[in-house]
Amino acid sequence: MNKSTNTFFSLTMLILLSACSSVQVTEESVSNQAVAGVSISQKSSATQAVLANAVVYFEYDQYTLTSKSIQALKGVVGLMKKNPKITLSLEGHADERGTREYNLALGQRRAESVANYLIANGIKRNQLVSKSYGEERPLSLGSNDSAWSKNRRVEIK
Amino acid sequence: MKKNILLSLLFLPLACFGELFLEITKGSDDPFKVAIIPFAGAAKISNPLHEVIRNDLNRTGEFSLLDTKLLLPLRLEDGDINYQDWSLLGMDYLVAGTILNGQSSVDVNYDIYDIQKRKKIRSSKVFGLPSQIRQLAHYTSDGIYESISGIKGIASTKLLYVNQIKSAKLNSNYRLMLADSDGANEKTLLSSSEPIISPAWSPDGQKVAYVSFETGLAKVYIQDIASGKRESVLSNDTQISSPSWSPDGKYLSLTLYQDGNAEIYILRLHDKTLTRMTNQFAIDTESSWSPKGNKILFTSGRSGSPQIYELNLRKLNSKAKRISFEGTYNAKAAYLPNEEGIIFVHRSSDGLFHIAMKYKKENFIRILTEAKMDESPSVAPNGNMVIYGITEGDQSMLAGFSLSGASFKLPASQGEVREPAWSNFLR
Repeated sequence: MNKSTNTFFSLTMLILLSACSSVQVTEESVSNQAVAGVSISQKSSATQAVLANAVVYFEYDQYTLTSKSIQALKGVVGLMKKNPKITLSLEGHADERGTREYNLALGQRRAESVANYLIANGIKRNQLVSKSYGEERPLSLGSNDSAWSKNRRVEIK
Repeated sequence: MKKNILLSLLFLPLACFGELFLEITKGSDDPFKVAIIPFAGAAKISNPLHEVIRNDLNRTGEFSLLDTKLLLPLRLEDGDINYQDWSLLGMDYLVAGTILNGQSSVDVNYDIYDIQKRKKIRSSKVFGLPSQIRQLAHYTSDGIYESISGIKGIASTKLLYVNQIKSAKLNSNYRLMLADSDGANEKTLLSSSEPIISPAWSPDGQKVAYVSFETGLAKVYIQDIASGKRESVLSNDTQISSPSWSPDGKYLSLTLYQDGNAEIYILRLHDKTLTRMTNQFAIDTESSWSPKGNKILFTSGRSGSPQIYELNLRKLNSKAKRISFEGTYNAKAAYLPNEEGIIFVHRSSDGLFHIAMKYKKENFIRILTEAKMDESPSVAPNGNMVIYGITEGDQSMLAGFSLSGASFKLPASQGEVREPAWSNFLR
């Protein structure tokens, strides 16, 4: 038998024998796929000096602002008006319940709710960058109501 | 042999061990009874080969393998196969083989005999490098599975999943992992200090797509497994997520947050043409292609809660059709390989999340799992097994079951494991 051991392809031969009963005959080489690992060490984007630092919280499955959130955002509006050149990052988050991609979208909706409130109060859209981390960056670990309520948030920074 | 015994499916929480832990809680009512004689050859190859083959076949839940201690000689003194005694042992099939190991290659030759019909039904050879004993075993068990069940085996397929190692400093390390279908032979495709989510296979098994937060913004990347070469699929400053490959490999469906809201787009890979598929005030995400490539499933919040919708891609201006109605949370749906139904994440009235299935011809859903935060189901390409993420205590790991009722767990060697994605057939 002459064969190459470096066969990177899979070969299947099917020969039906002409005897009264047929036997399936096959020959194949197992694939030898190379795997290259990649490592990323860079940290996420550099942060500017923190001018505003507020967190607003949301109800389960919800992205509408609560009256408590609006109180916190009034302070942010005041600060933005005094510093019209700064841009704010609005970072939405979700608790761990539900699917990861839906939570990413939900976190984004929460960030947009904050953005829309700020815009309605005179802040320019180009001063705001909204994004989401979904459930990937919980503030509080643990699977209970208290941890979850801390994790459903938008961080303004 | 009865197939599709979904009704008898039983999932039980199992204890956790350091490696793949297999326990058949309930297999098929009428399994194939098979005797496998350890293949003749060097014990250092024969023993691990035999063990991997047995585990592969046991995991399907469709086989009852004869205890190795009860094995008879393959042949009678006159050289004929001893069909009569194997039949008295209640065996349906007999497998025997030989191993030839050279310096640079190993050949596995095996034969399968039908005891009732008293004839050989298959004679096969698989060969590879001496370092590929597990692969040789997976190919062999797939051959046995195919000849006996008539269905293509999935032992030689692969899994992708995300591993997160939480260090003492709360500085997480995220890794995208590749492993054999039984969790062995684990390799790191990507490691990052920032989250990685939503891994997806290219249909040919050569590439993966995933979401990485390495720039501080969720972005979809495509990475070639062999070379490690990777690229961000779109070079704009929009958040992008939820990649799913079309069955022909030419398109990715994606979620883009162009206007701040999650909408589904289809990206033609060769020229980066984007086509918008949804236009809705509500969230639209988690798109997933049908096996024929003519439809996508997605999750939308347009009814007020996440529900599953189906969109026909072949009809111009076709409207998305809602296809989930039970409960207030149904998400991350995927078609079964034969398109006879869908599998998805369902929140029950007690607030817990389970994996559920709905067949087209039925008007009810089947809840398949019973832990509390089950997520990310992925179906094997032959449609007979499901792998998904579970959380036990505060530890997340992978669990799986076959449709004939065998269940298994795949705890992490370290850290958390989640978001499994089953490859297509690779042989």
